[in-house]
Amino acid sequence: MSNRNEKSVPTLGFLTVVEHTPGGLFGGLLVLNLAGRPLEFHCTAPVKANRAQEILYGPTLKPYLYGEQIGGALLAKLKTPALAVCTDSEHVLSLRDHIDIPVALIPPSCAEEAVTAEATSTYRDEPAQLAVALPHVRSFQLGGYEVAVSDQHETDQTTLEAMWQERSIDLDLNEPFTRIREAIEEAHGVGK
Amino acid sequence: MTDSLETISHDLNIKTEVIPLGWTAALSRAPQVTITSENFKAERPKVVSLTCGGPKIGVKSFVFPEAPAWLQALEKKAPPKKDASADEPAGEEEKPRKPKAKRVTHIRPPGDVIKLEDRLYYLLQPSLESLVTSGAMEFPFEPFPYQFEGIAFLYPRHAAVMADEMGLGKTMQSISTMRMLLRAGEIRSVLLVCPKPLVSNWKREFNLWAPEIPISVIEGDSAKRSWLWRDNQTPVKIANYELLMRDQDIVGEDGGLHFDLVVLDEAQRIKNTSSTTAEIATKIPRTRSWALTGTPIENSTDDLVGVFEFLAPGLLTKGMNIKAMSSTAGEYIIRRTKDLVMTDMPPRLYRDAELHLSPAQQEAYEIAEKEGIVRLEDMGQELTVQHVFELVLRLKQICNFDPLTGESAKMDQLKADLEEVAASGKKAILFSQWTRTIQEIRKHVEPFGPLEYHGKVPHKQREGVIDQFKNDPSKHVILMSYGAGSVGLNLQFCEYVFLFDRWWNPAIEDQAINRAHRIGAAGAVTISRYLAVGTIEDRINKVLEEKRELFNTLFSDTGEPKKVGFSKDEIFGLFDLRSPKGPIRFAA
Repeated sequence: MSNRNEKSVPTLGFLTVVEHTPGGLFGGLLVLNLAGRPLEFHCTAPVKANRAQEILYGPTLKPYLYGEQIGGALLAKLKTPALAVCTDSEHVLSLRDHIDIPVALIPPSCAEEAVTAEATSTYRDEPAQLAVALPHVRSFQLGGYEVAVSDQHETDQTTLEAMWQERSIDLDLNEPFTRIREAIEEAHGVGK
Repeated sequence: MTDSLETISHDLNIKTEVIPLGWTAALSRAPQVTITSENFKAERPKVVSLTCGGPKIGVKSFVFPEAPAWLQALEKKAPPKKDASADEPAGEEEKPRKPKAKRVTHIRPPGDVIKLEDRLYYLLQPSLESLVTSGAMEFPFEPFPYQFEGIAFLYPRHAAVMADEMGLGKTMQSISTMRMLLRAGEIRSVLLVCPKPLVSNWKREFNLWAPEIPISVIEGDSAKRSWLWRDNQTPVKIANYELLMRDQDIVGEDGGLHFDLVVLDEAQRIKNTSSTTAEIATKIPRTRSWALTGTPIENSTDDLVGVFEFLAPGLLTKGMNIKAMSSTAGEYIIRRTKDLVMTDMPPRLYRDAELHLSPAQQEAYEIAEKEGIVRLEDMGQELTVQHVFELVLRLKQICNFDPLTGESAKMDQLKADLEEVAASGKKAILFSQWTRTIQEIRKHVEPFGPLEYHGKVPHKQREGVIDQFKNDPSKHVILMSYGAGSVGLNLQFCEYVFLFDRWWNPAIEDQAINRAHRIGAAGAVTISRYLAVGTIEDRINKVLEEKRELFNTLFSDTGEPKKVGFSKDEIFGLFDLRSPKGPIRFAA
């Protein structure tokens, strides 16, 4: 196995948060090269909101925990800067306020659901419903996927589209999250 | 007239007088003011501060090696495969991708990979299906899901047995895994050892499934072979078992060679640990060891112990409890049957033709059996298993053909069956234990364009025979010996298999049947097993059924087998003879 030339490898980060009762939240960040091969994997220790956080953050607790806390801690560990971060959790979008690279929301695909969790037929018919339905996001097409960015950072759409076109990115944007969940399960004995 | 104005004066100067009453001083004094203070300020409230930030989150990090530079170049070059929708006329708005429900196969780390980093390295690799869809690896045909699972099983393992039933694509799965390991740079040198007749088959399969991987076949005189063994330009070397024995000095511990992976095809060849082949194979310096076999157990569980002496010496031991063996070896073995994975595969239809011997055969049989038993009984303590075998073979031959008249009940049945096969334009394979029987059969089936494929047919001609059988519509039957024709051949265009006589163990029979019943089979495969009722064949058949049960028990993790191998008593029991010595085992 050869060593990586860190400077020359463009990468994408895939970030998800797994909720496990009673363990708490487990964050995982998988860094892939543009062919889908893993280069880095970072996962957090279990994270639990304390009572004060629950009261004071109220409805903003999840964006705070998922984005600022977990996302921030994971991104801080990156060995090589990623071009963008993809996530399957809307709460992670708040991470964008703390970093300089785009954060794209990839709604879970119906295919993955069909395989892993037996999605309901309503959901299967409307795979992009989540992104479209959220009030604070801007949805658009990226490489054939319905994705969304925070409406606070609308220019990310242009950035991402240019990035995908320039680098001919053709990654399956849903599949890496399955890998992260399996890795979290392996590392912690949770995740599914 | 003016009235005069009368005025009256009053003195307004009222005389006042200060009367000293003693108050004057008091009046000049400033009033005394008393001040009462009221404190309106409340006490300072106590403040409790809550930390909203929470403690610092711990993060565990893993960094993996990037693929070799040449692989990256290959990945960049590979054109991304587009869905059918991508070919729609330009100008139409791009529609959201509607992912199909698909299986995803990930490489799973085996139990002996302990380090979390190593386990995650395997788990986090892209799915095998994505290698195909992304175009990173090209396959001539998209592998079946169970084949992806087989690749995912082999990939991380340093010791593995691929024991899939014949016809499920062990060759393709092992070649594809070798290809992926080579391309990932995880291995650089592979030695594949197979029976001599299968070398050309492996070469062909490598060209099909891994066309970019250079291979070399070890062959030629001693000097050429020596050069080929040491040539490090080709990552894959193919050698046959016989050559391995001849070149044992080169491939042995002192030869100076080392392979990252050694694959033994038809690994049942090393089931006998004391055989020269087994001894040489176990001494080849290597990092990974894989065994491919459709019949990891031919006679008894000791066969599996022999194979494991190559894979993981000492892991299994002879006489080990079958349940312990099953659980210990389970981590290393993958076995799937067609019934399990190929639910859409055409069925195997067994048709046991129970035939009565012709009068001449019956007479010859009875005489031979009677005389044979008398002779065996007269031998007393000299009697050995070999003597019993000789009688068994003699009787089996009579069941095929009467030695004097050439009469054969089986032959009569076969001719009728072949009429039907030829009339429908189909092709059939016939198996027998003896080349002499095959040659005798040939005389009777000339109208059906018989071809022969057995030990007496030179290796160089064999491929031509197969090609002719496949392409010449006048050739309806190929006559094969179990030894030469039971492994490695793809004859899935045949819909009929005839077992003219029965082999000693069911695994070999299954291998023979699976020449026709394999992936690509056009329709149901009909297997006709000829059995002379009331003869030694009947008795052997019962033992075969018991052996089949043993095999199923070990690989299904349930129940206990009724018998473990042929015991000496059982062999003698075929003729109601008593064993003069203790129980023994023998190889078929």
